[in-house]
Amino acid sequence: MNREFAARKPNHLIRIHDSRPDPLSVDLAGIKLKNPILLASGTAGYGAELSSVMDLGTVGGIILKSVTEKSRKGNPSPRIWETPCGMLNSIGLENMGVDALIDEVLPSLDGSGVTVLASIAGDTVDEYGRLAARLDGAPGVSALEVNVSCPNVEKGGIHFGAEAEATRAVASIVRENCALSFFVKLSAAVSDVARIALAARSGGASGLSLINTIPGLAVDPSTRRPRLGAVTGGLSGPAIKPIALKAIWDCYSATGLPIIGCGGIYDVDDVCEFLVAGSTAVAIGTVTFQDPERALEIIEALPRALSALGVESPGELTGSLRVWREA
Amino acid sequence: MTDEKGNRAGLLSRATLVSRQKVSRNTHILDFEIDGTTNTPGPGQFYHVDCGGGREHLLRRPLGVHGMTAPEKGAARVRLMVEVVGWGTQRLCALEPGAEVGLMGPLGRGFTPPDGGRALLVSGGIGLAPLFFLASEMDKEGSDYDFLAGFRTGDDYYPALSDLKGNIEVFTDDGTVGAKGVVSEGAVRHIGNGDYSAVFACGPEAMMEAVADACEGSGVSCQVSLTSRMACGLGFCRSCVKEGRDGRNLCVCTEGPVFDSRDVKWNGVRS
Repeated sequence: MNREFAARKPNHLIRIHDSRPDPLSVDLAGIKLKNPILLASGTAGYGAELSSVMDLGTVGGIILKSVTEKSRKGNPSPRIWETPCGMLNSIGLENMGVDALIDEVLPSLDGSGVTVLASIAGDTVDEYGRLAARLDGAPGVSALEVNVSCPNVEKGGIHFGAEAEATRAVASIVRENCALSFFVKLSAAVSDVARIALAARSGGASGLSLINTIPGLAVDPSTRRPRLGAVTGGLSGPAIKPIALKAIWDCYSATGLPIIGCGGIYDVDDVCEFLVAGSTAVAIGTVTFQDPERALEIIEALPRALSALGVESPGELTGSLRVWREA
Repeated sequence: MTDEKGNRAGLLSRATLVSRQKVSRNTHILDFEIDGTTNTPGPGQFYHVDCGGGREHLLRRPLGVHGMTAPEKGAARVRLMVEVVGWGTQRLCALEPGAEVGLMGPLGRGFTPPDGGRALLVSGGIGLAPLFFLASEMDKEGSDYDFLAGFRTGDDYYPALSDLKGNIEVFTDDGTVGAKGVVSEGAVRHIGNGDYSAVFACGPEAMMEAVADACEGSGVSCQVSLTSRMACGLGFCRSCVKEGRDGRNLCVCTEGPVFDSRDVKWNGVRS
């Protein structure tokens, strides 16, 4: 471009035509994100609710709350309990259903400038297939997150993500029914998460998203009652960060797939750790409840944090963990 | 977008504690100054308060507004009544003036004031906080009301109740202040005998259920303020929802905390 001509244009036009890559941008399985900071599924709703306190267009993307084929009411109250460095939740996949997502949510996000990943959860392998088909080509959806960490009917209450073969079956049917990139959301509460990750890859997953919450229980000793109406729930927050980092490293090493890292991120230093362990992008979850603007603060702090580590882009950190080698 | 204190326009603010006063055994009144706010809360609305727990205590605490003054010289004062029940409220009730606290709000749907006639206000314990605010606003309008306030014991009694202009009746479980007995029984008697245009209740769920039942029997409209554990405070996490009578989920933080008592599914004590 003629630089002298460009210099006479208003600033925002220069930025549009600037061919220099944005230093924070990342390529996540073919999806270009303006930065690697995503809002995690379940802690950002369907986007509109958060827009009263933050500009959605600033984040790398939003992973919408999981939807099922039909709307669901979720679990009985109480649904949350604070625990040391974390919280338990048992929302129980309360959601509006995929039709309302397509008819109401996606149009509401149009024009917000945010990259949208839709999250799907099913009771059966076929439900995952139908959900993927519904969202294939849905306007505004850049990719899918496939949540295989929810209870299901076919497997008698065990998560799809707890078994390699069930995970592969879900990934395969999503691949058959949808041309979008998709990330299989894994649970670390399994004996060998890398084996599940390999199964997701063999089913055609474009990448992985991990970790989901860790099952837990909180007790009120005075009443002998569980603190949650659904008895047990999922633990999130900084308490699960080391578990997440280990699972990400295991899956990155085993599969080489692009990973959305998630689980206990609190600040920009945590983000750097997640990148080093093998994440291409990260998802900010529970901390959003304490500080709805934390994702924005992390994005603002990221360039300085990267330069302090001697790198210019997030991608240079991805998978850069230097394990000890025997002499 | 941000002012010199880092306040973003809208719901999020850094508020300064102006004063803290212990008003009964376990309860403190905290006055916060919020610079540059244009939002003023109504009775029944709440603030979601970051108690400074960092990584260790992640969640904000939803606290009902006890009073406020309109913005003057660009700053509003918001009064919160805080009962020490756990880590977060303990931390708030140990703060010294000058401390900065993150507030998000005002949030939620508050009470709809009565449209003439005589109203009945019924509080149990810390449920006093929003109803005292409602009563103060009704005093400004010159509205008539009876206010029944229940406490466990005299040490919990809030002396400022006597400053209100309405007819105040106090109940304690042990009779150390006011009448001996539970406030819900007093409320049921009043609703049966009185000719109220509206009833407002906030307190333990069993108390509100008893008041709601009596109102339904007498055909009086009743607004209740529900309590629920919350994470986001903005309606998207779905942590605080309670089941409604029509089977629909009620989102306490955005559709409430104040509801028409007929919309609530009262379960009694779960066994």
